[in-house]
Amino acid sequence: MTALERHYRMLLIAYPRTYRAAHGDEIIDVLLASAGPTRSVPAVREALGLIIGGIRSRIAHLATGSAWADGVHLAVTAVSAANLAALLPYAGVLPWWTLLSALAMLAVLRGRPRAAFALTALTGVKAVAVAGGWALFDLTLVPVAPTFLTGDFLFERGGPFTVALGYAVVLLGLLALVWRGGPPRARSWWWWPVVPALAWAGPAWMPTGTPYALSLSRVAVEVAVFALAVMAAYLARDLRWALASGIYLLVASGELGSHAEFLTRQHVAYWGVLVLLTLGAVIVPYRPRRHCLD
Amino acid sequence: MPRGTSEVSEPMYFVLAALRGGPLHGHAISKSIQELSGGRVRPSVGTLYGILERLNERGVIAVDREETVNGRNRRYFRITDTGQALVEAEARRMYEVASLILRPTST
Repeated sequence: MTALERHYRMLLIAYPRTYRAAHGDEIIDVLLASAGPTRSVPAVREALGLIIGGIRSRIAHLATGSAWADGVHLAVTAVSAANLAALLPYAGVLPWWTLLSALAMLAVLRGRPRAAFALTALTGVKAVAVAGGWALFDLTLVPVAPTFLTGDFLFERGGPFTVALGYAVVLLGLLALVWRGGPPRARSWWWWPVVPALAWAGPAWMPTGTPYALSLSRVAVEVAVFALAVMAAYLARDLRWALASGIYLLVASGELGSHAEFLTRQHVAYWGVLVLLTLGAVIVPYRPRRHCLD
Repeated sequence: MPRGTSEVSEPMYFVLAALRGGPLHGHAISKSIQELSGGRVRPSVGTLYGILERLNERGVIAVDREETVNGRNRRYFRITDTGQALVEAEARRMYEVASLILRPTST
């Protein structure tokens, strides 16, 4: 295998695995035949063409099946990641509950709604109890101090309502998926790196001492994921990403609403960006068609 | 069948024009597009295969046959009756638009 072919094969990772297996060699053949004899690195336009083509192909692959069920599953995945992120910095104090929360997210990612429901219900009841200061299952001394990623105590400013909202949305979504029947699709492993990014309290963005400070890493990850949803909705002309964004926005709005007395202009700007991106995901599927493949 | 508008993008038009001469594989389509457009239209391979897959999904082109060359699979695409009608309609539309400017004016 030449260096050029190796580079092209790396770029082909942008395409879904099934597409690569079926047509990857064929595309490599055309790329090598089109390249000059002295070329050892891909031309920029070919590299961009493969990356954009791969993303389009992945989005087209994702925009299949029931839009509402897939949108609900996507939202459940995102909110489960946020629920796990809330516990992750306290893994040293609450190892088993953090592990249960991680298993709940794993079950969601692998498309096992029944197992995910049981694990989420168990973790959720404990999390709400800790947030409310009630003793349940095992003895947990509150406030729970962090082990890493943040300096805040667990649910320091979030009451049981805020915590319950996140878990209730996941449980209702999972119930809907169980009621519909048929396993949801397995989700990407790329959801795992989202969890520490949501949990991390840095880099500092809001002035020191701001009550209920949002971290820049959390804001950046959420805005990036919402922007990807708009791009997918634009390319696939499908509302599943709008539904997922809307459900996550509901949870984020509930959390902000429960901290109404601490909100600053930066909080409102963050919320406004999420609202705009959600509206974008709703509107872009209805854009005018430019040609018959658009 | 194509959905919504029946207009054809330029790279798509040249793909269909290339396939009017008979079934071709990816590299031959790419070369034919460059020849037909005088080197003006040169879609990247990723873009070309995106167009081919979507045209194939919509029934505008179809896989004619598959061959194995040097151990690698190679699909030959052909234009369907739907594709033929689509590209001819687009050619007529462009001709009518062009004739507004290019036909001799009566004085």
